[in-house]
Amino acid sequence: MGLFDKLAFSLGLKKREANILVVGLDNAGKSTVLNHFKPEDQRTSDVVPTVGYNVEKFKTKSVGLTAFDMSGQARYRNLWEAYYQDCQGIIFVVDSSERLRLVVAKEELDIMLEHPLIKPRRLPILFLANKMDLRDAISSVKVSAALGLDRLTDKPWHITACNAVTGDGLHEGIDWLSQMIKDAVDKNAQKL
Amino acid sequence: MSSDVLRPEEGGGESVVATGQDSDKWLTAHNDPVAGLNTFSSCMALADLSADGEIKLIIADLGSGTHNMKLKVYKGTQLSSENTLIDMPTGVITFHMDTTEPQLPAVAVASGSYIYIYKNLRPYFKFTLPTLEVNPLEYDAWNQARDDLLDVSLLYEILDSLRHEVGECGLTTRSQRFLMCPDHQSQQNFLDQHKGFLLKRQTVVTAIATLKKSYAEEEAISCLVLGTESANVFILDPEAFTILNSVSLPSVAVFLSVFGLYDVEYRIIVACRNGHVYTLKRGVKVGRPTIELNSQAVGLVRRDKNIFVATMDRNLHCFSNKGKRLWTQQMDSVISCLELIEIKSLNLRLVAVALEDRRVLIFKDKYVVDTIHMEAPVSAMLFGRFGREDNTFILVMKGGGLHIKILRRKARFAADDSSGLGPAAATRLNVPKKTKLFVDQTMRERENSIQMHRVFQHDLYKLRLNTARQYVRALETSSNPVSITQTEPLKLSAQVLGLGPTFKIKVELQNTSASSPSLGLMVVFHADHHVYNVQNSVIQVPMLVPGVAHVVETLVNNVSELGVADTVKVLVVKENSTRPVLTALISMPVADTVS
Repeated sequence: MGLFDKLAFSLGLKKREANILVVGLDNAGKSTVLNHFKPEDQRTSDVVPTVGYNVEKFKTKSVGLTAFDMSGQARYRNLWEAYYQDCQGIIFVVDSSERLRLVVAKEELDIMLEHPLIKPRRLPILFLANKMDLRDAISSVKVSAALGLDRLTDKPWHITACNAVTGDGLHEGIDWLSQMIKDAVDKNAQKL
Repeated sequence: MSSDVLRPEEGGGESVVATGQDSDKWLTAHNDPVAGLNTFSSCMALADLSADGEIKLIIADLGSGTHNMKLKVYKGTQLSSENTLIDMPTGVITFHMDTTEPQLPAVAVASGSYIYIYKNLRPYFKFTLPTLEVNPLEYDAWNQARDDLLDVSLLYEILDSLRHEVGECGLTTRSQRFLMCPDHQSQQNFLDQHKGFLLKRQTVVTAIATLKKSYAEEEAISCLVLGTESANVFILDPEAFTILNSVSLPSVAVFLSVFGLYDVEYRIIVACRNGHVYTLKRGVKVGRPTIELNSQAVGLVRRDKNIFVATMDRNLHCFSNKGKRLWTQQMDSVISCLELIEIKSLNLRLVAVALEDRRVLIFKDKYVVDTIHMEAPVSAMLFGRFGREDNTFILVMKGGGLHIKILRRKARFAADDSSGLGPAAATRLNVPKKTKLFVDQTMRERENSIQMHRVFQHDLYKLRLNTARQYVRALETSSNPVSITQTEPLKLSAQVLGLGPTFKIKVELQNTSASSPSLGLMVVFHADHHVYNVQNSVIQVPMLVPGVAHVVETLVNNVSELGVADTVKVLVVKENSTRPVLTALISMPVADTVS
């Protein structure tokens, strides 16, 4: 990072850029979450199941984020690992109303955390316990217990209950994630 | 086996865990040991009942068998609705009966002589099986009883004799119940209660299945296929509920396996109560016998071109569609049910076998590829898409528990060759053609069989006689290393040491008698003096105490110019006796000549 960039950052002229990966099972609400961060006029009213992946760009207070919205369908889940290399943060979306497949979500999370590109890195992971408005939904505490997050000690993580349709709880989560990313980027910049 | 020959697994990088230990191929999604379900595989179905992409589980719960029978619908892990059933359910299936949008599947519950159709989980239609002809004698008897021309005991007598004549199933249910009444008073009460109603003879549904009518699509209209207690198989039209086709069988259908299209061509494989399996085709009125089993079937599953049948004698059989037996595997325990596991993402079709010893074995052809251990014996199994997960395995326990397992995304099923029969057993032996000589010999053997047998027997007796004679001679001349005479029971063993030309012969003598010692014995070595020069050819043996081994040894020099080996005779003799006590013959080794 050059001197000019440092100057630009400190003056707040240039924003930090980061890639984040949005994963989770099919029908968890990943695309809906990202749809909410789009500008008002670009939002789609009906979100369809993602095929392969989509890329969305949006800005938060501190960083500009490029989100890779991965498809959660079983046959596309092995695509996730192709994007582990250059991501600075992960959003893991869980459908908290679907108790039957919480175990599958945990399985996919465990596979991801054991991946050699993820395991040694201190990547911040944001868990979104989505669909909290539904009658069958369980609390974010129960979701975190079901996913076994208490065992996840080597990475910063945060769980928040949210409703991706209305946007409740999303900003709290994304603020945390962007703060973590900003800190990490700044730390890297100081090292250089 | 043609199309289902095993392909080796494409290496996915995942390690395959050996079978035998508990399976790690499945995730436990839900386990409710107190769900209180009492059901069988035929009474479970999976369908998208509200057309929202989420598949629900439909279970006809038998309750206690007489009370509390319910049609339960599970949405995910939650029980979402319950409908009371009037009679014991025998089967539940879901099917599309029309093409109106949205395409909601209907649920058909077979119960007694009726098929109850539910749409949107509301009662929609009730189909009644056609009534059967009542035996005229039975009809008259009940008519007379109604008009008080016949008293109770007389009616009982008539019906009882009729029962012996036509069998229990030939009677109406009313007569059957009447004959079950234990005493005169209850019979009288039963008669008073029922004599006013019309006598009908109805049959009962024993098995239910679906058959697509004209198109093979997932949401195409299906006909219902019913097996009845009157040993018929009916095919029902799904719109008008009329009987399109009726086939009679020699026995009552227990399990149905249907494939094909009603309008094009179809096969219905029926496992019957008499232990036979029949095949029905389009356009036939009588079932074709396909398989005769040694025992009653407890499960029937069709996979590609094979039919899997589990029987009560703990066997799992695999047959071709034509009824040719491909293999049979015996289980360690009684089989309770059978289910087909179709994993589309892996292009695999496995067969799950639930055993009474709480295990569920998963077979890929005849190899066990996975074992699931449950806490209780399994009474019903269903595999399919549930909720939003494709590979869900639903198990209902004997104690009423509900267990839902989901297949891991990275699970692979590889056959372990060490279990079961190897592929070599399946290959045929390459038998050469019969030659003329072979045929001639066979003919000769066939014609002269008695004579050949006699010649053989004659030679055999001669051989035996010769053997016995030689044995007796050996005993008489004491030319054996163990003496069996009462006076001198001795045992001799000899050893040759060295490489030659000088050998040492060690002879060990032992008195095997209980108490009497042997006196005045000598060991004599005898050999051809052209070949061997024995140093001490006669050795005196001191008194032999019973049980103690005495060793005598001598040097033997090979003096032969040619370096040939010969035998050395060792004789044990007693003073003043002309016959040796025992004899041993030592084959000497070839001497290493000193060059």
